[in-house]
Amino acid sequence: MKKLRFLEVEGNTKGFYTFLGLFGLISLVGILAAYYMEHNGHWVTGMSNQVIWGTPHVFAIFLIVAASGALNVASISSVFAKTAYKPLARLSGMLALALLSGGLVVLLLDLGRPDRLIVAMTEFNFVSIFTWNIFLYTGFMGIVGIYLWTMMDRPYNKLTKKAGMTAFIWRLVLTTGTGSIFGFLVAREAYDSAVLAPMFIIMSFSFGLAFFMLVLMGSYKYTQRDLGDYIVNRLKNLLGVFVAAVFYFVLVYHTTNLYSAEHRDVTIFILTNGGIYTFLFWVVQIGLGTAVPLFLLYGPTGKNRTMIGLASLLIILGGMAQLYIIIIGGQAYPMHLFPGMEVTSSFYDGVVASYAPSLPELLLGLGGVGVTLLLVTVAIAALKFLPASLADEIADPHSK
Amino acid sequence: MWLHLNFNSYFKSSCLTVAGLALIASFNMVNASENGLGPKITIQESSGESCVLPSEQMRREHPDLLKHDRIQTLREGVRAKADGSKLDGSLKQCVNCHAVKDDADKYVRIDNDQHFCVSCHQYAAVSIDCFQCHRDIPEGSSNFHALSSHKDVNYTNVVPGTYSLTIEDVANIAPEVSSDDN
Amino acid sequence: MTINSEKETHSEMESSRRNFIFGSVAAAGLTIAPGVMLYQTANARSLSEKTSSKVRWGMLVDTSKDVDWNKCVDACNKEHGLANENHSRDDQKTQYIRVVDVKNKGTGYSMSLPVMCQHCEQPPCVDVCPTGASMKRPDGIVLVDRHRCIGCRYCMMACPYKARSFVHEVLTDQTENTPRGKGCVESCNMCVNRVDNGQLPACVEASQGAIIFGDLNDPQSDISQLLAKHGGKQIRADLKLNPGVHYQGI
Repeated sequence: MKKLRFLEVEGNTKGFYTFLGLFGLISLVGILAAYYMEHNGHWVTGMSNQVIWGTPHVFAIFLIVAASGALNVASISSVFAKTAYKPLARLSGMLALALLSGGLVVLLLDLGRPDRLIVAMTEFNFVSIFTWNIFLYTGFMGIVGIYLWTMMDRPYNKLTKKAGMTAFIWRLVLTTGTGSIFGFLVAREAYDSAVLAPMFIIMSFSFGLAFFMLVLMGSYKYTQRDLGDYIVNRLKNLLGVFVAAVFYFVLVYHTTNLYSAEHRDVTIFILTNGGIYTFLFWVVQIGLGTAVPLFLLYGPTGKNRTMIGLASLLIILGGMAQLYIIIIGGQAYPMHLFPGMEVTSSFYDGVVASYAPSLPELLLGLGGVGVTLLLVTVAIAALKFLPASLADEIADPHSK
Repeated sequence: MWLHLNFNSYFKSSCLTVAGLALIASFNMVNASENGLGPKITIQESSGESCVLPSEQMRREHPDLLKHDRIQTLREGVRAKADGSKLDGSLKQCVNCHAVKDDADKYVRIDNDQHFCVSCHQYAAVSIDCFQCHRDIPEGSSNFHALSSHKDVNYTNVVPGTYSLTIEDVANIAPEVSSDDN
Repeated sequence: MTINSEKETHSEMESSRRNFIFGSVAAAGLTIAPGVMLYQTANARSLSEKTSSKVRWGMLVDTSKDVDWNKCVDACNKEHGLANENHSRDDQKTQYIRVVDVKNKGTGYSMSLPVMCQHCEQPPCVDVCPTGASMKRPDGIVLVDRHRCIGCRYCMMACPYKARSFVHEVLTDQTENTPRGKGCVESCNMCVNRVDNGQLPACVEASQGAIIFGDLNDPQSDISQLLAKHGGKQIRADLKLNPGVHYQGI
């Protein structure tokens, strides 16, 4: 096995500046959209008193969930001692930080009063899972930062295993915390379920690895560095396992909901007569997001890089749809103040709330993705995150 | 060539600094009050020397006072001090006394430089968000005018929560009061 | 000490006012000003003291009374200066109290009732608020401290009664007793500034006796006696939040 060498990406090229400009532009548009929303008030969005959290939250929670999953590759190398993943550990940690930053930017800019962020940083209600999440997210930044440092600073390499274990445990708690945001809400039929916490963890594995694969393949393609099949095949097989695991949890979640009379109606709503939510569930989440990627990854096209990239993209799309159904569908479905009765009011009681994503929301969400990709682009040129080559003779521990 | 470049940039930056200082100095000349220092703030002439605290103290301490009183009133429900002669934490009392009228005898609103809070805060460049939620002018009919000083009012005779009015006043007020000022 | 004696005089006046018995629709007793009626409470609090949990404010809504509940909604809107949103869509406008029409599909029975913040004893909205803006006073009134609210809307997600609203646009011309503005969450606060000053909440006043307001902790209060005699139900009682708003006839 040839020696592994990390090398910064050459930044002074037209291609690099193009990417920088593109991601910078997307981020800028996102921030402008946020300013527009904050300055005028949320009346310019599709969100209302019935559908309280909208498209920005779908993006934000996707990015945050993917962030903890992106750290998986590094965890597998440090905690589970799989040497094949070690060259990827730095990129994994950095991507986790970038994804979390992008997600938090969207979340914070959608607040009704983002100018009061300092209040959120000083006044805490420790019964609230949001407060715990503030500490979990900022702690994650610190811990992964230290983890990266142990990996990249040679005298501290011996601490990598401990830092990796800490980061691994921390992100499990973090993702449980993110799932608990919804799992703790007894008020709404779609959320009142303990299975949401582990489901979010499994979703993080799947979305995070899919995003990681796209960033890995994309960065090696555009920097014209070698990326051998050994690494790609291992990762794509793992990705398929995670996709299947998410499907298992979705199955468990809906089946158990069908069994309890209290939660049956919302499941029937999502699975059969929920309009857009039913379409998103069957066509996008299950079809495009689960079945097609599994076929692409494990079928005859399994070795084709383009198909693997397409599968990753579809997994991300399916994940967004899944979060859209959970977050927005869960709110649109009415709460039953009077079970069994037909209810109407001027405040939209008893009816499925309508929601349509508005342009500012979409731009803000995409802006978060832009921030993530911008950070990744800057990082790989600034520091030694990417191995100079991941050709098989370097990456494959069994090669001669 | 490197020296030449540096000389140009030093020259430019020093010019900018001088211009900037001159600009800032000019602000003082535009907004000077009688003694030449600080902004000219419009205060009710009849408001007397001090109401809650002496004005020098109020200038320094009003943020802490506001914050402390609002915690007491909103979170703890305390709406009067133990001896009834002091004000409570409601911002409307401050607004009622410090309200300014313009030449057309209408109350000046928050977007106007003459508003009591804005006149100083604009000069100090400290933005306040109180009036995003709080009413910026007194409520009620034009007959309801702020008193000059709250020191002499006997609060034991007053309907709680309406510090400027006595029981007789309240009995005479119509239940639906709308401001014909703005 | 001067403080004590002034307090005594003050509370003497208070208790003499508070001795006016809260009557039914044709209100007997002196009114200080038109529309101001005082209620009786055994645990009168001087305004210079903090609220305490000795008192627990509650409401009892008799849905069988023939009342136009929209009058309560109008009274609330006027009291708090609501319905002044110009840009918001209907589903973005604030409602502290709303009229809900309920129909039993099987039997055909239908009725209406007003639903507002239920002022739970274990409010989920208070549990989830990250800054502690959503708070419960010791006397049971649940409200939003808009100085601390960052507009995250988590409390709106958590409320089982959809009682909370979010201000979606810049507001002006607020009433001086209810400051409200863009980006904060708000809800019925049981007209806390009126209650503290010995008045009834606006909806109670407009309900012509169909809504009764009082101290749930005082067994001698009207509301406690009515609840003991006729019973009352809470909406979504299975969530075990023990709301302070009870209903008869649901």
